[in-house]
Amino acid sequence: MESAQSSLFNVSIDFGTSHLFFPHIIHWILAILFAFILVLKVLPFLAAVRRGERTLPIIGEPMHVGLFIGTLVLIAAYFYLMGVVGELFPYTGLGFLFTSIVFVFLMSLMFMGRKSRRKVITALVNAIVAPTLAWFILGKLFYITLP
Amino acid sequence: MDILASLDFSFFLLAALGTLVGIIFGAIPGMTATMAVAVCLPLTYALGLEHGLALLLGLYVGGISGGMVPAVLLNIPGTPSSITTTFDGYPMAQKGEGERALKVCIVASLVGGLISAAVLFLFAPMLADFSIKFSYVEKFLIILLALTVIASLSSNMLVGVFSGVIGIWLSLIGTYSLSDGGNGKTRLMFDFLEPYLVDGFALLPVLIGIFGISTILLEAEKGVKGGLSGQSLKVGKEGHFSLGMFKGRLTNLVRSSFIGTFVGMLPGVGGSAASVLAYTQEKNLAKDSSQMGKGAPQGLIASESANNALTGGALIPLLSLGIPGDSTTAVLIGAFTLQGIQVGPLFIPENSATWYVMMVALVFANFVMFFLMFFAIKHIAKVVLVPKYILYPIIVMMCVVGAYAINYGIMFDVWTLLIFGVVGYLVQKIGLEVAPLIIGFILGGSAEVYFVKSLESFGTYSIFFTKSPIAMVLWGLIAASVIFAIVMEYKKRAQHRLEAAQ
Repeated sequence: MESAQSSLFNVSIDFGTSHLFFPHIIHWILAILFAFILVLKVLPFLAAVRRGERTLPIIGEPMHVGLFIGTLVLIAAYFYLMGVVGELFPYTGLGFLFTSIVFVFLMSLMFMGRKSRRKVITALVNAIVAPTLAWFILGKLFYITLP
Repeated sequence: MDILASLDFSFFLLAALGTLVGIIFGAIPGMTATMAVAVCLPLTYALGLEHGLALLLGLYVGGISGGMVPAVLLNIPGTPSSITTTFDGYPMAQKGEGERALKVCIVASLVGGLISAAVLFLFAPMLADFSIKFSYVEKFLIILLALTVIASLSSNMLVGVFSGVIGIWLSLIGTYSLSDGGNGKTRLMFDFLEPYLVDGFALLPVLIGIFGISTILLEAEKGVKGGLSGQSLKVGKEGHFSLGMFKGRLTNLVRSSFIGTFVGMLPGVGGSAASVLAYTQEKNLAKDSSQMGKGAPQGLIASESANNALTGGALIPLLSLGIPGDSTTAVLIGAFTLQGIQVGPLFIPENSATWYVMMVALVFANFVMFFLMFFAIKHIAKVVLVPKYILYPIIVMMCVVGAYAINYGIMFDVWTLLIFGVVGYLVQKIGLEVAPLIIGFILGGSAEVYFVKSLESFGTYSIFFTKSPIAMVLWGLIAASVIFAIVMEYKKRAQHRLEAAQ
């Protein structure tokens, strides 16, 4: 009896595939938990959505699509162009500086809401000063690698 | 004598600066202490470990404290941990007692911070000393316990566990490292991603993405709000503040501080849990709690001493076991890794100078917080009005610097920022929990090594139950936290049913 029980728990791990041993267990746990969540949470939730009591997250909720997508696209473009411009001026951090000035200004405009001359000028000054300060302090004084 | 060598003028200046910036972050609704630490991390690359920690601990203390300002003046918690401060702070501010309310909060914060620092100082070395004897089996069980505790304190245990396991899964992407005794093969990725993901996702870009970029995305989704006008902010000078207000409230103050410290120790449980627990305890135990919620200083004392006590508490498991106590300390782990230092049971014995320096920074930051806020509260209150359109772009920019510089210029780390910004956004939108996910991500790699190595040496799963008395105690604690969660869930349902019936 004792030996039968211990053999049930016995395990030997093949070194060649040991990198998959733990992930395999995690996959099983994830699958089981997901099944539970599906039955206990997701299906009741979807039923409530069908009855009109709840709304689907993201799709069904009121949201500012323009600002959200705009922010996402702007950030992606910023990251991409930073690398491209950085290639033109290697090891100077200027790619970071130039793209940041443009990015900070554009994002400010997006989040400004009602625009006024004063607000746009503030945003412009901020867009020039903040990245320049960051570039100078971090890149030049602290020798931090910048794109 | 390395301790005195580190404590130069710039050390104290950095701690003070960190505290000030932290207060500002905390005071701006939507920005948290975690975000402050994440955004300012790049500054520490160039500083040494001690000076970097001074800055980060200042940010931590300041960030937790700053949340009281909008909580009292605008009824908006600046950080989640200030939720209960709004209950009594805002009614007081409406009566024109804003300054008085804030000063009560500031004193309570200082006491909470100092008590928790004292507990940290006494308790962390003891816990480290105890856990030094742990083998891989116990270390694995400690991680299992940490994840169970986080999950059981989540709003829904099943979702909490699921989020934590997703975090572990994410941490396994990459190579099963040779240096950990693995076989050096990659897993959980497509072949074309191998050049980028050989070492998996880097910790800091993941954290900065989840706490920085996803916050911006969540705000973007809400759209541009009108902004707070200068008029809505009145500090108010009615009623005079004196230390006499704390008379008869010492029990509350000390109890709430200890509650905060204890909740801080539990991994992955944020400041809101600490202050809510302290507040409800005061409500249950006080002789007269009839005024609470209508502008009673005792509510402020409970809430603010508890949330500041969180700081010391959360550092205990970090420095003694290598397990972060909340999301801010999770980011702090990144700062240690950056300096090539492993936090765990050996940290305090091997880096005793750093340990004492950290304590100095923590206590100093608490005093700076007190003096800055006590004497300049009216000016600090104005930062609540800094427009978002100025702040958000700067935050994204600082996130980029942090992510890019971490491995000395890898563009993929910047993309990791965006990937996890979106992941963090989706996770919060579909109702998964960020804190367990992050802790799972941080501990997943070690969990694998401890688990697989234990099995390789003993060859049986039963070793996790029979290795030592400590292992059995740990299983007892794991069972207790699961039972706790089930009982709480059951009570909640009973309450709902009762309310529905009425």
